[in-house]
Amino acid sequence: MEMRNAIESSLLFLRKWGGNMEKYFLIAYSNIRKVKWQTIATVVLVFFAALMLNLWLMLSMDYKRNFDRYHDKLNAGHITLSIRSSSPDVKQFVSETLEKDSRTAEYGIKDAMAASGSFDYNGGNISTELIFFNKEEAKKHKIEKIEILEEGSQKSGIYLPVIYSTDKNIKIGKTINLKIGNKTIDYTICGFTNSVMAGSHNCGFFAILLTEDKYKELEEKGYAEKSYFVPARMKDKFGSEEFEADMKDQLSKAFPKIYAASNSYALISSSRYISQMICSEIISAMAFFITIIVLVVISSNVTNYIQENMKNIGVLKAEGYISRQIVFSLLVQFFGITFITAIAGAGFSYSLFPAINTMMVSQTGIPYKTKFLPLPFILAVAFISGTVLVVVWFSSRRIKRIDPVVAIRQGIQTHNFKRNHIPLETTNLPLHLALAIKTTFAGIKQNIIICITMLVLSLILVFSGLMATNMIIDMEPFINMIVGETADSSINIKSSYREKFMKIMEENSNVQKVYLYNSLYVQHKEGSVLMASISDDFSKVNNQDVCIEGRFPKYDNEIAIGVKYAREKELKTGDVIIFAADGKEAEYIISGFTQISNNLGKDCLLSSDGYRRMGVLQEENYYINLEEDTDIDKFNKDTSKKLGDGMVSSVNISAVVQGTGKVYVTLITIIVAGIIVLSLIVVIFVMYLLVRTMLNSKQKDYGIMKAMGYTTGQLMLQTAASFMPAVIISTIIGIAISSIFINPLVALFLNGIGIVKCTFKVSLVFNITAGAGLVLFTFLAACLLSFKIRKNTPRALMSGE
Amino acid sequence: MEKILLKTDKLSKSFSSGGTLQHVLKNIDLELYKGSFTVIMGASGAGKSTLMYALSGMDKPSLGTITFGDKVISGLTPDQLAIFRRRHCGFVFQQIYMLESMSIMDNVLSAAFLVNKDKKAIIKRAKELFQAVSIPEETQKKFPAQISGGEAQRAGIVRALINSPEILFADEPTGALNSKTGLDVLDTLTKFNGQGQSVVMVTHDIRSARRGDRILYLKDGMILGECLLGKYKHGDEERHRKLSAFLKEMGW
Repeated sequence: MEMRNAIESSLLFLRKWGGNMEKYFLIAYSNIRKVKWQTIATVVLVFFAALMLNLWLMLSMDYKRNFDRYHDKLNAGHITLSIRSSSPDVKQFVSETLEKDSRTAEYGIKDAMAASGSFDYNGGNISTELIFFNKEEAKKHKIEKIEILEEGSQKSGIYLPVIYSTDKNIKIGKTINLKIGNKTIDYTICGFTNSVMAGSHNCGFFAILLTEDKYKELEEKGYAEKSYFVPARMKDKFGSEEFEADMKDQLSKAFPKIYAASNSYALISSSRYISQMICSEIISAMAFFITIIVLVVISSNVTNYIQENMKNIGVLKAEGYISRQIVFSLLVQFFGITFITAIAGAGFSYSLFPAINTMMVSQTGIPYKTKFLPLPFILAVAFISGTVLVVVWFSSRRIKRIDPVVAIRQGIQTHNFKRNHIPLETTNLPLHLALAIKTTFAGIKQNIIICITMLVLSLILVFSGLMATNMIIDMEPFINMIVGETADSSINIKSSYREKFMKIMEENSNVQKVYLYNSLYVQHKEGSVLMASISDDFSKVNNQDVCIEGRFPKYDNEIAIGVKYAREKELKTGDVIIFAADGKEAEYIISGFTQISNNLGKDCLLSSDGYRRMGVLQEENYYINLEEDTDIDKFNKDTSKKLGDGMVSSVNISAVVQGTGKVYVTLITIIVAGIIVLSLIVVIFVMYLLVRTMLNSKQKDYGIMKAMGYTTGQLMLQTAASFMPAVIISTIIGIAISSIFINPLVALFLNGIGIVKCTFKVSLVFNITAGAGLVLFTFLAACLLSFKIRKNTPRALMSGE
Repeated sequence: MEKILLKTDKLSKSFSSGGTLQHVLKNIDLELYKGSFTVIMGASGAGKSTLMYALSGMDKPSLGTITFGDKVISGLTPDQLAIFRRRHCGFVFQQIYMLESMSIMDNVLSAAFLVNKDKKAIIKRAKELFQAVSIPEETQKKFPAQISGGEAQRAGIVRALINSPEILFADEPTGALNSKTGLDVLDTLTKFNGQGQSVVMVTHDIRSARRGDRILYLKDGMILGECLLGKYKHGDEERHRKLSAFLKEMGW
């Protein structure tokens, strides 16, 4: 019996609820029909907000996880060492050390060959440590498997990491000219591979597979050193940097003269995803900004609805509707629209994602398969719908205070009678401007929406200008921030040839400046392995901005360390820290903080004398500035000829910068173009909403004014001009504030890659021009959108037909 | 010989409603004279307001021509018509139609500055007109919603007259007012007509119609009859009798 009662009461409730819902839907539907164009504009803004939110969530929640998925799939190491030695003692030592260490889960020691090498890429050059494997042997790897993604029918040749297949000249069947040390070999490209820890120049080295014949050939030629490739998996991947540092420290203590390159899971999982991080940060900012605009616009729509429907609300209340029900109908209306649109927007993001993925893969080099991701989708839709619900609820609370009798009798009372702004009797302003400003003063809400929109868009413009100035038009500031130091050429020589090399340089009239600039790894005793840039005189380096606090190391007991690392370790200038290299330790005083993101902020600067307190520079690397128009490749070749055996390798740095930087430049160009287009779309739709709202609310006024003899053009200009004070003031404030704070803001975005202080050049000319352009664009958009005034006769406008 | 101010030739106006064409005005030939007070009467739906809006250039006729002086205005573009209205016409509406966000004075000046740039002269004329319709200075600074309907309608007359229009069009100017304030408005219109201002007024109120010196009766979009009251003084019993007889004849 109780059960039956419960079912009956439940059915009664559902019937009643269903009936009520039908009523709410009817009210909501009727409201939407009345303002269908405003609804469409709101829908477009919600669509873009959901689209951007879902893109951001997909990038931030899943894209980087792809690294882990491949890391697991290929059973990749958490640390990887490439040791230039074929000594059994070294092999035994590494094996014992790893066995003894409780952090080791499993490891492998593979025979390989290693050498510094380079090849043409993206109109420039790639230069890094190359590790050559026999393809057939590599197939047997249990740890750090190398996956062949694409393969042609070629039987003899080379397999490159898939990241390089984005270059139109690096395709299966084509020939690649590989420079190994100072020798060159041509290989036919047989296919492309995927390796997680050794699959890109961002890993510090990358794996190249050679067919058996080519591997033997290289071995015979002796261009590359026989080496061991050691991937090791950890029981717990956290602490991979410390593990890497300990391994290198022990190796350098035992074998100080052996060169070893290494990387760790922590470093590579970040360095291969720099573009993903930059793109994700920018998209998140855009999603956030558009969502704010959506919320402000919806809040304004609700307030307008209440004002324009005051009498109807009074009638509904008189009929017996309670405030909660009327508010609920608004919630149904806006939530319904937002929810459906957010689903569509988030869904549409999947059609854009492949293009973004292609851009990302050109930097990550790790294939990503686009698939439906329920969690980001649900979060994006829920966030937009939820915030809209809250905003509608807050904005519609005023309905509770509406007295039905007063609402029916008086209807809408929108004007504030406190003050007659710009009295025509006394003002010296031209008539139309005075009337436009009067309208401006009358529309506080529209001014707030404009101000928020323009402030946000000004920030976006300034950001775009910053990116364009420092990354697209002139790549140097960005490159300096990422790699720290660049020159035209880099020549690596055997230390014993120093005098001969310097003499060659002195005799060459194309040489402007030569300075020692070596990059090596050193171990901070209570921390991580840092990349040390070593120079004999830091006053000679091209990028004097790299030291952002304090000064460059001058004496042999001084060191400048990465600011991000220093903050993590709570180190201050003047602190004494211990470093180790080649098995020796030395104390250094921190003279300053540097900012280079090459090693994600884990870097330091040492004078050559300072480094020599720990180790020996068996090879010396020199950076060279050349006269303009010097053929850098020819210069390197000539130097090699003159130096003979003393030359270890040479790099055309300009070409390397071009090759590696082009990926970022392309990415940033697309992002900047995208956000500018999106900003203009936002301007158009926000202005559309505002103009339509104004045309509706001032319909009678326009009719009266037309009857008085105002022409359509005059009314259009007045309408557009009435938005301009808020547009101009907020754009000026927005551009000024953004110009001041854009560098700290970008530094905040790029903190993940070791950037703490951003010193990009802020182009005031660009910002002022862009600001003026935004104002002009908004004015033209407002003019065009108010063109509707033309369609109506004064009689129709007055009678509201 | 009275001077013709405005003339129509076979003026017609049709509206499409629910897929069917409704002929609101049919082949109207009409002449309006300078200095006259023409009243257009008729039952609801007869086409009175439509005729007035067509004559004043607020609406375009479907067929026929309207000539103002020696200029055909029926073929003008909307913007040309706006310029015509601002220079030659003044309007007084039943719903008053003041710009709610502007003071009474600004309502008047916003119409005036559109035509005349002599600020001092305009303000002087506005003040004279306000004085003539008994609107004190403090009321001039108020917003439309802060004053009475009668005051607002008199302010509307000031706005309509500020540019010294050749014709003042009044569409049921007393329709939204009580009898006392309505009388004040009619007195004001009569007073300005007495000073030479041409007036065209649409009404269905006999008391208002009595102020005219020429009554046109409209039925089914056509002028059914015309009654001339010019020779009778305002307030004359004969004037009232003649109008009543005319309206009875028209089937009022």
